[in-house]
Amino acid sequence: MMDALLDTVLADGVRTVVVVGTAKNVGKTVTFNALRALALRRGIVGAITSIGRDGEAADALDGARKPRVRVEAGTFVALPRDLLPRSPALRILDLGGPSALGPMVFARAHVAADCEIGGPPTARGVRATIDRLCELTAEPTFVDGAIDRVAPLSGGTAEAIVLATGAASGTSIEAVTAVARSTIRRLTLPGRDRLRERSRRIIVEGALDAHDALELLAGEPGATVVVADPTRVAVRGKLLERIMSAFDLRCERPLRVVACTTCAFSPAAILDPRALARAVGAATGLPTFDVLAGLRG
Amino acid sequence: MKCDALTAERIGAAWLHGALAPAGDFGRRAQDAAPPFGPGDEAVARRRCAQIVDLAARLDPDGVAHVRSMVRRAPDPTDIVSRATAGDPLSDVDFFELGRLADALEATAAAWDAAGGGAAGRPPTIAPLAGVLAPGRAGGAFYLADAFDPALIPARAAYAAADAEVAGARRQLAESLDPAFQPPAGAEEFIVMRDLMPTVPAGLRVVREAPGYRLLTVELDADALAAVDRREAALAQLGRTEDLVRRALAQEVARYGPAVLAAGRALGELDCTLARVAFTQRWGGCVPELGGRRFAFSAASFVPLRAALSDAGLPYTPISLDLGGAAVLTGPNMGGKSAALATCGFLSACVAAGLPPPAQRAALPLFASVAWVGGEPPLPRERLLSAFGAEVVRTRDALSASPPALVLVDEFARTTGPHEGRALLVALVETLAARGVFALVATHFEGVARAARVPHYSIAGLGPRALDAHAAPDVHAALDALAKAMDYRIVAADGDARSPSDALALAGLLGLDAAVVERAGVLFDAAAGPAASVTE
Repeated sequence: MMDALLDTVLADGVRTVVVVGTAKNVGKTVTFNALRALALRRGIVGAITSIGRDGEAADALDGARKPRVRVEAGTFVALPRDLLPRSPALRILDLGGPSALGPMVFARAHVAADCEIGGPPTARGVRATIDRLCELTAEPTFVDGAIDRVAPLSGGTAEAIVLATGAASGTSIEAVTAVARSTIRRLTLPGRDRLRERSRRIIVEGALDAHDALELLAGEPGATVVVADPTRVAVRGKLLERIMSAFDLRCERPLRVVACTTCAFSPAAILDPRALARAVGAATGLPTFDVLAGLRG
Repeated sequence: MKCDALTAERIGAAWLHGALAPAGDFGRRAQDAAPPFGPGDEAVARRRCAQIVDLAARLDPDGVAHVRSMVRRAPDPTDIVSRATAGDPLSDVDFFELGRLADALEATAAAWDAAGGGAAGRPPTIAPLAGVLAPGRAGGAFYLADAFDPALIPARAAYAAADAEVAGARRQLAESLDPAFQPPAGAEEFIVMRDLMPTVPAGLRVVREAPGYRLLTVELDADALAAVDRREAALAQLGRTEDLVRRALAQEVARYGPAVLAAGRALGELDCTLARVAFTQRWGGCVPELGGRRFAFSAASFVPLRAALSDAGLPYTPISLDLGGAAVLTGPNMGGKSAALATCGFLSACVAAGLPPPAQRAALPLFASVAWVGGEPPLPRERLLSAFGAEVVRTRDALSASPPALVLVDEFARTTGPHEGRALLVALVETLAARGVFALVATHFEGVARAARVPHYSIAGLGPRALDAHAAPDVHAALDALAKAMDYRIVAADGDARSPSDALALAGLLGLDAAVVERAGVLFDAAAGPAASVTE
């Protein structure tokens, strides 16, 4: 069943897969590892990197136990210099831009090892890191991502986003589903279409925040509102719904979200995994999987 | 050469600093470490200029650009060498960086040869250290290869075998489970619904339990746990072996450290040199005579202006001048008086930076200071002063300079009453001349040179009826017309000569109401004294 997740993600010649989460502890790294393990079964080692700091045994912020990232032999990896494992040695291929833990190092594993991975702090750094990995290997690059730093993705068919959600982002299936629906609505803003745009257009420079949203709603509805990319939409929940129903909200650089994964437990809540996967799938209209339970919603 | 920010801006020294910016970190450090040439450095500065002129003539310009691009690629090894020398361990990234440095030095040397540089001045390489690192440097990468130490081979084989043993043990345990309860690919932990698994079968361990499901993981048996221990031991052994190899390599780095640092310094000096060579190849330059009692140059360029005019597709007229001390410069508006002053300052900044002055010939002192007075907005500290007040304060500072100094005065006292202003300017020129500083004083006041008993120069200016009296359609057209009509050369003027400002013609060209210009012409003719006589 999980092969269907990989098929969905790698369809149309995808070169980069970015896993993002609606919150911490929603199974982002679990999804990331599952995708790589599924790919490895097909002989794809690919490349990996991260936007945050991942693979460490415990979360640096809250101390919760985190899944390790295993780097199989042959894998290309981009990680900050200070996270480079002392042993086994990796083949150092290149250096990239700065991160909080030293310059990014592009390397290749000779033998398998568990390690921490991390990434650059800026959207531009993420873009440069992904581009360099794509130069180093023709196989897919898997990115343990962050939802607020997917802006540099091109949105073309070569880059796919998987949204991880789960009990850490809500204490009920309804709450988790609402967050997932709203997030997907936001991330899948349509791109500009000159033929279908309204005669009145409002270009939003920077972020579309709550202040902008209320100002828009106070005026005449119906215009096409354009932001640079979906991450520039800073409003959530019902306010976002109101904006989207009153205006034709579009972006210059659309993103391509291809699937969701769910995680039914968190330190704060335990939900029914089957019902959660089904509800998220229905709410987002995307193929949805629970990789821990081996379920498809 | 001391000069404040405003002077540096006016004479193009700030622009020059950017134009001579080194390509790489080594060059930046070398530039920061090298003080500008000043009084007493004449012989060294002249040799430096001669070296640049020679290289500019000898090296292929494209080759110079290529060498500079190679220099830019060289990483800075100072921190790595310092740590190695102190006995600290080095990482594989450090060895990678040293390898890149060795490559960059080789590439720079090859580019130098290709540019026609020859053996003298060829940048050094660090071939011995490159040889030490060579076993790990296939394809420009770095890997702690087995060839560094045969002990790595069994250590790596033992770790790979132990890792495979753990994977095999896990797989075997997972495969021994009911197919319905096997972990999904890549997951150490997995969920099974309680209704599907009323009791936990052997071989599985509960990580977390909920009313509806259990989070499980495969229970490792004694054999698997022993395999995990063996893998940990093999990894630790591999780590120790790899660290020994790194330590040995770090000792080699320390051994070659002085050579590496020397190569870095040489690369920095080459970077600074090539910045000057590229400048000279583009804008020209001569080997100056330094330290005499004259400030003389022919066909010299104020390059910031020349570059801007070139970008705008406009011609530039190089100028010549011969100063023996203080002198007065008069001439028409927009005739290039300020540019002439700036040229003097710019040439001074060039030689202070070890750059051949962009002129056909040049003889000048190495100045201890250069100061610009006049024509500037007040500095922040002088905001409470009027334009005239700010000018006086700057003049007071400029007068405190000791020779060899250059003072450039641009229309001093133009914002006060003409009689008092002229008197102040005459007194200022007398004082500058008496103090033995070099000074060029641009003004529209008449008779200043004669009154102060200093040489008088003038911009050749507009010929008779050189400008059409009709207004140009726009400012660009006016500038074009002006560039064609204006003779920007500096010529010696009769001490009694009145230098025309050509203000009326320029006002007409720039679109001032024709009636106003015409009336001004009538008034001017009525009041005019003897015609200006300009002699070359």
